[in-house]
Formats: sequence, C-alpha cells, structure tokens
Amino acid sequence: MKSLLEVSGVSVSFDGFKAINNLSFAIGDAELRAIIGPNGAGKTTFMDIVTGKTRPDEGRVLWGEANISLLGLSEARIAREGIGRKFQKPTVFEDQTVLENLLMALRNARGPLQVLFYRPTPEDLDRVHELAGEIGLLDALDRKSGELSHGQKQWLEIGMLLAQEPRLLLVDEPAAGMTPAEREHTTTLLVEAAKSRAVVVIEHDMDFVRRLGCKVTVLHDGAVQAEGSLDHVTANRKVIDVYLGR
Amino acid sequence: MPQSVIARNPSVLVFLAILGLFTLSVTLMSEWAGSEIVSTSFVKTLGKTLCLALVAVAMDLVWGYAGILSLGHFAFFGLGGYMIGMWLMYERTHRIVASSLAEAPIPPTESEIAGAIGNQIFGVVGSSEFPAIWAFADSLALQLLLVVLVPGLFAFVFGWLAFRSRVTGVYLSILTQAMTLALALYLFQNDSGLRGNNGLSGLQNLPGLDHVPQSSISIWFFWASAGALALGYVFSAWIVSGKFGSVIRGIRDNESRVRFLGYPVEAYKLFVFTVTAMIAGIAGALYYPQAGIINPAEIAPIASIYLAVWVAIGGRGRLYGAVIGAAFVSLVSSWFTGGQAPDVNLGFYTIKWVDWWLVLLGLSFVAVTLLAPKGIGGLVDLWTGRMAPDRHGADLGPDSGSLREAEAEQ
Repeated sequence: MKSLLEVSGVSVSFDGFKAINNLSFAIGDAELRAIIGPNGAGKTTFMDIVTGKTRPDEGRVLWGEANISLLGLSEARIAREGIGRKFQKPTVFEDQTVLENLLMALRNARGPLQVLFYRPTPEDLDRVHELAGEIGLLDALDRKSGELSHGQKQWLEIGMLLAQEPRLLLVDEPAAGMTPAEREHTTTLLVEAAKSRAVVVIEHDMDFVRRLGCKVTVLHDGAVQAEGSLDHVTANRKVIDVYLGR
Repeated sequence: MPQSVIARNPSVLVFLAILGLFTLSVTLMSEWAGSEIVSTSFVKTLGKTLCLALVAVAMDLVWGYAGILSLGHFAFFGLGGYMIGMWLMYERTHRIVASSLAEAPIPPTESEIAGAIGNQIFGVVGSSEFPAIWAFADSLALQLLLVVLVPGLFAFVFGWLAFRSRVTGVYLSILTQAMTLALALYLFQNDSGLRGNNGLSGLQNLPGLDHVPQSSISIWFFWASAGALALGYVFSAWIVSGKFGSVIRGIRDNESRVRFLGYPVEAYKLFVFTVTAMIAGIAGALYYPQAGIINPAEIAPIASIYLAVWVAIGGRGRLYGAVIGAAFVSLVSSWFTGGQAPDVNLGFYTIKWVDWWLVLLGLSFVAVTLLAPKGIGGLVDLWTGRMAPDRHGADLGPDSGSLREAEAEQ
C-alpha cells in the first residue's frame, strides 16, 4: 500500500538528550493507528516534527502522492497541506462561540484578504450544523466555547479538526479526563473519521486503544519498539518490560 | 448569522448616534454658530480629542483584538502629522514669499522663490536647501497620500521584520518602543530635514484662507475629525465583526492553535499592524493642524504608552471602550494639567494637580488593571446584562418535572 505519510530515519535531540532516535513510521490513507509508549518515549515530539513545530536534526518526512518533504514548511503551510492536529489539552478559542470556532476551522481560503471579505455561505453553515450534530453540540452553537464542559471542548476540537477536512489527523490523548460515556462517543467519532482519512491517536489508556481496534505502534526511547495488533504487541516481551510490566 | 455589520454590532449605531449628537451640539454652541458657550480653543481641544479617540480605536484593534501590545502607534500618528504639516508649511511660506517678492522691481525666478522658501523654513536649522523628503511638499494630493503611505510603509517594514522572526509579547513591545525612540531621536537632529526640535509650526493657518477666522477653521476640523472617527470606527467594526475578527482574536488567545488551523499568523499580524498604522497616520494628520505645531517630542515613547493606558482604562477588546478611554483620560488630563483643578490643601502639604496628575493616572492604571480589567467600557456590560440576561435558552425556574409544593403551582 502506498503510504500517505512516511517518516524515515528521523532523529532529534534537545540539549544532547535524544528525544527521537532514528524513528521510521508510515501510515496509509484511511487508516487508524494508535501510538502508545511510556512517558518520554517521544510521542508528542513525533507529532511536533510532523506538524512542523520541531525541526529534526536528520531524517526525512514525506507526504502525499507527490512525496513532498514537510521539513522546512511552516506550521500553517503543513496544516493547509492536510495535516490536522489535536492537542493534549483541549485548545478551543474560549472567548468565541462554538459556531465561530467551527467556521474558523472550516476548509476555506486562509489568506488575510480572502478572510476579510469572507461571509459564510449557506453550504458552509450546513456543514457546520452537520459537524455540530456529529459532535453533539448542535444546541450549543451560540454558546461561548469557554462555557462548555471539558469533554465537550474535546469534541469541539475534534469537530474543528474534521471541519479542516485533513487527510491526516494527529490526535494527542483524546480521552484524557473523560467520563466512560464520553469516551464511548469519542471512540465512535475517531473510528468514523478514520473511514475517510488517516488518523493517528496517541493514547495512554489501554482500554481505549483496545476499543479503537486498530494497529498499534509502541514507541520507546524515541524509536519504534513494536508494531502490530494490540494483542501482538502486548505479547511482546520487550514491550512488557519497558511499558506494561511497570 | 445576520449579514450586515450593523446588525451584528448594534453598538455601532449607538456610537454613531452619540457621536452625531455630540458633533451637532458642539457645533450649535460654538463661536462659529454665534454662540459663546464653547470657545474656539475648546472646539480645538474637542476636535483633537476626537483624533486621539481615532488613534485609540486603532490601538484597540492592534492590542485589544490582535493582542499585539504596540508601543509605537503614536509614532505613526506623528508621522501622519508631519506629512500634512510639510504641505501646510511649504504652501503658506510659498504664498508669503511669492507675494513679497512680487513687489520687487525685477520679477523673481522660480529658483529664487524656492531659495527664499527654503531660507524661511530651514533658516532656523541653519540651512536653506530643501531636503529630498520635501520633494512632494508642493502637492496637497501627494502629501495627503503620504499621510497614509509613510506610516503604512514604516509599519509594514518593521512588522515584516519583527513578526517574521516570531518576536511576540513583551519583546515585541520593547522593540516597538525602541523604534519609536529611534525615530524621535532622529527627528530631533537638525539635519533630519524636518527642522529638528523646532518641528513644524503655524499649522493652524491654512494656506489661502487667511481671511477665514479660526472659529470657522476650528469647526471644519472638528467636523472632519468627527467624520474620520465615525468612518474609522465603522471600518474597524467591520474588520473585527467577521471571520477576520475571529482569527485575530484567536491569534491573541492562542497563536499556535491558529497556526495549526492553517492560517498564516504573521500575515494577519502584519495586516493589522499596517492598517492600524495608516489609521493612526490619518488621525495625526487631522490632529496637528488643530494643535498648530508638531515637534519630535510628540513622538516620544511616553505618548505611545499613554495610548496604551487610555485603551486599558477605557476597556480593550471593545471599540467604544477605546473611544471612552481616550476621550475621558485626555480631557481629564487637560483639566488637571491646565491648572483648572483646585489644589488640595492637606495642611502640611498642598497637592498641586499639575505635579500629581501623573501619579493619579498611574494609580488609576494600576487600579483598572487589577480591579476592573474590562475598564470603563465594562460598565456597559452591567447594563446590557441587566437588559437581556443570556440564558442560553434555559427555562426560568425549576424544571417542570421537579418536585414543587402544590400551593406554589397556583
């Protein structure tokens, strides 16, 4: 299968500490993938590299059919290429309504002048309503997003990511701090999203990963330790030692 | 979502109505209308206050909405003033020189006239040569264009360098402050071409309108200032009302999140910085003919800090807050420093407000920041909140399914 994102031989160190050590990783179109690993395994740094926040010392990050190198592109440019990122902490614009948040994320021209003269079309509003329905916030469209509960903010952020219509979604601990029912909903959202695009989920919670039912990559010390189904990796001796055994 | 700016911001209509009413009543009470209530000098003060309100709106746009604490917008204001001042001074001197030389037995040549004008304008700094920057001073249209272009270009180049390097927060403020100081120091030099610390003067006399009394000129400028404030206000409201406003408020609250949404954050900052510098330039071009004189001290960093204080006291993040802050603080300031405020005799010490006004201003700035971050404009929330509580569609009282005493039902 042709891969959508291909990371090969990437290393990065911070003040001599190797956060990522010769990491290689690939993900195809419409694939759901979970990344697990102990604290400090380099999961978030990996996301930082793909989204352009951190420049690796060496290695390649190739994207899409044309194999564009993502290294050297700005964060905004990478986002426009079709990579969406959800942070660990819910980061929505609390001062603005759910509607404004979603409209801002909606896939449209991003330049200052185009945005200045932008007025939402009926199609845009329909799309926003549809998304709000999916994330269960249809009644809350006119509410300030700062008033939402923690779980609702997480969903709003996922909704904003979907509105961007990215080809690859990077999701950092989406279920942190959620009630069991909210987790259920989040699982559904992610599995649904992965039907039409690639989704990478970083997660600590094994139950949550099991429910996603997808291929798992285990990171340790900035490199891939094991890859395969959850049962396969949890049976791996090394994985048990570094992660599950503790 | 309603489509028009006004419908989304009813406060714009209220603001325009108040401004219109204010302009009308001042006009009717002015010496121009034959009344004695408002003196010509006070009309000028009010006109200048409107210009300050306009530059405060620009400051609110760049600071309150986009989160860039610029301590240099008064420099753009001053540049706008210098640009219009150059034409006013050149044209007036030209007329005076031409008419006096015309009485000479031999008609003067073009270069003789130019030399005489140069002598008149630059004699004070020991020169008579026209510096290159005065090349367009004979054309009102070009100089008016420069009122917008010079501050705009200045802000564009500065902003491009600063934002591209991702300088943010307090570091950016320091950088803008340094830019302002550098500009002021440069203008203080005699060979800067703008008459050093003498500045440009006599700007209240419009060329060719010597027969028109100041009472008329002052009211014209008052109207022009009110018009510019109205336009600037509506324009700013339009900018911040739509998705552009969403994006710049997003940049203020979480810059990197906006970046990961795919927006070129630097381009937005640059746009806001440049546009507000242009608005500041226009405000300055209207202010200084009313003040009559502009010199480099006007551009000193303290002026830009005042600007930030006005917006903070008025309430940033809302356009009318900036107007209230600028008008209130600058009028109170001229009352205190003009010697009209009565001294307070404490027995052992007499508080002279001319000396103590700055302390009072500083204390109120600290108080507003700590106790009322929304500023004076926040008072409006108390009123609108009382008028229409935002209940998000919830019912009044307990749920219909809840247990209640039967008597209370009737």
